[in-house]
Amino acid sequence: MKFSVFQLSRIGGRALNEDRMGYCYTRESGLFVLADGMGGHPEGEVAAQLALDTISALYQKAARPIVSHPAEFLASAVLAAHHRIIRHAAQKGMLDNPRTTLAAAVVQGASVSWVHCGDSRLYLVRNGQLLLRTRDHSFLEQERAGLNELEPVNRNILFTCLGSPAKPTLEIAGPFALQQGDRLMLCSDGLWGSLNDAQIVAQLSCQSVSKAVPALVESALLAGGEHSDNVTVLAMEWETPDEFAPTRLGPADSTMDGSFASTLDAGGFDTQADDLDDAMIERSIAEINAAIRRSAARKT
Amino acid sequence: MSKVKPSPLPPDTMIGGYRIERKLSAGGFGVVYLAVDNEGQQFAIKEYLPSSLASRAVGELLPQVLPEKLSLYRLGLKSFFEEGRSLAQISHGSVVSVLNFFRENETVYMVMNYLEGGTLQDFIITARDLKKPKVFRESTIRSLFDEILRGLRIVHQHKMLHLDIKPANIFITDDNRAVMIDFGAAREVLSKEGNFIRPMYTPGFAAPEMYRRDSSMGPWTDIYAIGACIYASMQGYPPNDAPQRIEKDRLSLSLSRLRGVYSDNLIEVVQWCMALDPLERPQSVFALQKELSRESARRYTKLTVGERVRLQFDSVVSDTKKTARKANVLGTRFK
Repeated sequence: MKFSVFQLSRIGGRALNEDRMGYCYTRESGLFVLADGMGGHPEGEVAAQLALDTISALYQKAARPIVSHPAEFLASAVLAAHHRIIRHAAQKGMLDNPRTTLAAAVVQGASVSWVHCGDSRLYLVRNGQLLLRTRDHSFLEQERAGLNELEPVNRNILFTCLGSPAKPTLEIAGPFALQQGDRLMLCSDGLWGSLNDAQIVAQLSCQSVSKAVPALVESALLAGGEHSDNVTVLAMEWETPDEFAPTRLGPADSTMDGSFASTLDAGGFDTQADDLDDAMIERSIAEINAAIRRSAARKT
Repeated sequence: MSKVKPSPLPPDTMIGGYRIERKLSAGGFGVVYLAVDNEGQQFAIKEYLPSSLASRAVGELLPQVLPEKLSLYRLGLKSFFEEGRSLAQISHGSVVSVLNFFRENETVYMVMNYLEGGTLQDFIITARDLKKPKVFRESTIRSLFDEILRGLRIVHQHKMLHLDIKPANIFITDDNRAVMIDFGAAREVLSKEGNFIRPMYTPGFAAPEMYRRDSSMGPWTDIYAIGACIYASMQGYPPNDAPQRIEKDRLSLSLSRLRGVYSDNLIEVVQWCMALDPLERPQSVFALQKELSRESARRYTKLTVGERVRLQFDSVVSDTKKTARKANVLGTRFK
């Protein structure tokens, strides 16, 4: 499994950044999470952080090295996050619960499954086209879809989120097969509130995610002006659909950078590492060249 | 993880008396260049430059290694030397030969003979895209792997295992020789058990014991990979990886689709090589060679009507699943 990933969160014109994001991965599976703590309720940033922590902790337990049922995993992990937020509020004796929206995706076996709750979004872009995006759990978006007949409403009003006393509505989708070059993006409403889908897709498609993400965030902040909302974007590009997989390192894979230490089994690797000094290197090279000469002599 | 690969040395750089013409390939362990010596002879030179541990800016000669990666870098260097040692001892037409080894630019270089042609993987992909019932003719498969096995036998005689045999590491030269390349995973393991570092693996071609720590590897581990390569040469695709097979083994099912196309004997050979239990595989290359060269009177068993219906039913079911998935996506999109 190979992908590039880039994430960025900027505070915009607000006093506090209540967005949280993160990813972790094993050699065969990856988890991407974005949570946007809600204003109008206390401690939005705590709700977002708790959601991120809970889901990634559960993922690290479940992914060995893949999650056996991504959709079921996402449903139960997000519900666990919801209950954790409620517990946190109860323990602190808060009058109102902290709340957060959330989008999370699990990528493994060359396909993606995702969940969202509220107005944090997931976009999937292929060959410069918007393949799909999640539909917000907001009255505005439901109305656009012709699902209800309310008067024009504020886009900020959501009918579900994590942390509210009512059980959250989770929308789960996938597994959806990925192709090489597909871009998967999670973002907070700070992005899509300032840029339309066409702008988002265009920026996301034309360059690597490491350039596209900062550019998108910058455009959204510019468009949002001095009162811009927090803008958070996490995007990944899928790079290996190859049926013929490349050689992988064994369990002591150094490319994993410890972001997911629990599945690394580094035993037996470092113990003999330090005895290779310059003299050893020279000796090894001399030995090999001697062996080459011997083999050549045998051949002739 | 979006990592910058170390940049290769530019054309016309001189290293160890060779002039670099161009980069041929780059992998996890380093870069391979096409280079010429002062007599104009061409060589392939492999530079140790693990992309996860070292970096090199464009136009620079010396790689930079982060201090915290230094011990892993040195360890990787050790296995680069192992590869050199393995290859230096072997002189066989089916095993890529190493001609020189030198140190420069604070790293090391391995000079090998330059092969012109393509990997078996390239040939498989080209052949399967022709959409014929057979990816390769059976006689082609038999003679190709007979040649590979001759080389592998020599490797095993030197008490070494290749441990990363796969179509991408089998090179077919323009003068029709099959050559095993990339011994980066090879270890001198047959002599010193217990002192074994688990090497790299490639899903689909790695035997189940490559995934386990407790079990011992042997010639049967390379033989599993040979079976998987033959499978890929028949099907056009690599087999399921070992963990998937342990969970639900579809090998017999997918091989049964090839009945009538390839002889029963060849299908049985693949099944034998790819037995999940190491003890049920051919225990030596010689045993496998003997079976593979038994070419007299090939028997082809056609599928029975019942079996054909069942196979067709299987593909209908998987088609339905695909359609269902598509419908699901549209549902999300237009809601």
